Amino acid sequence: MVENSPAPLPERAIYGFVLFLGSQFGFMLYLVWAYVPESWLFSLGLTYWPQKYWAIALPVYLLVTLGIGYILLFGINMMSTAPLNSMHTITDNFAKNQQQKKSQEEAIPALRDIPISEVNQMFFLADKGICNRN
Amino acid sequence: MEEGVYRAVSGGRIALQRRQYSASCREFSVRCPRLQLRSLSAATCSVWLAAYGLFVLSQNSMVLSAAIFITLIGLIVYLHFVKIDQESLLIIGSLGIQMTSSYASGKENTTFIEMSQVKDVVINEAIYMQKVIYYLCILLQDPREPHGVSEVVPLFQSSKPRLDCLVEVYRSCQEILEQRKT
Repeated sequence: MVENSPAPLPERAIYGFVLFLGSQFGFMLYLVWAYVPESWLFSLGLTYWPQKYWAIALPVYLLVTLGIGYILLFGINMMSTAPLNSMHTITDNFAKNQQQKKSQEEAIPALRDIPISEVNQMFFLADKGICNRN
Repeated sequence: MEEGVYRAVSGGRIALQRRQYSASCREFSVRCPRLQLRSLSAATCSVWLAAYGLFVLSQNSMVLSAAIFITLIGLIVYLHFVKIDQESLLIIGSLGIQMTSSYASGKENTTFIEMSQVKDVVINEAIYMQKVIYYLCILLQDPREPHGVSEVVPLFQSSKPRLDCLVEVYRSCQEILEQRKT
């Protein structure tokens, strides 16, 4: 079986270092492109660069996307929560199709999903000495 | 007839009234506090101040008349469609369960579920608006297929009592529901 542990490995160290070097190089290139005047770049022979407008526009786009993403995630979470009248708060396909095992005496009962009526009777109808509920 | 004061999930006070009409017929009414004069005047004042601010900016007197209309119509819509004063649950052992919501304007909404469709009345927990709340609900069953829940009907949706009030109503309802098996 393939190991899926998060332990440090030589390959991971190499990937990490390559990513580090690449991101540092990319950042230096971005700074050079944004700050060095166009005439100097042309004199060096580098003429095919994007407009400097994008040096400001892309970070602004990124930050606005990040801000909207927070709100969007919050909203998606709220929309996917089951409403109070939905069947998903009571049961689901796994619980409906579970097999009933015969309970042996003096053995720990098998793990199963207990129906909500039984749970309620245990919690709220049993004598107060057995369960402590506020 | 017994009456108790409890708290709602939001923290406000609600009153629970229990009546027993016969051995198999009981009624529970949850009453919310009525619309307070101070919250009504606070809302009206804020809307009118905002409209006056707009009027000063735009010098258009239609803004003021529009604000008055909006306040009046908003109040009527709120009292008739939104503000529920009392929710009651009438459970008759041999017949069924009836839920009534009375709005502040006097309108009443009634729903009746017959006993053959009722599987059980339980207290369920669910996530509601970044909180986990307990709420009472009726589990409905299809009469042709008695094992299996077909629908969930939540009760006391606008008053949302807390667990202590729900346990009282749950115990009373279970006493009546047990009678139909025997």
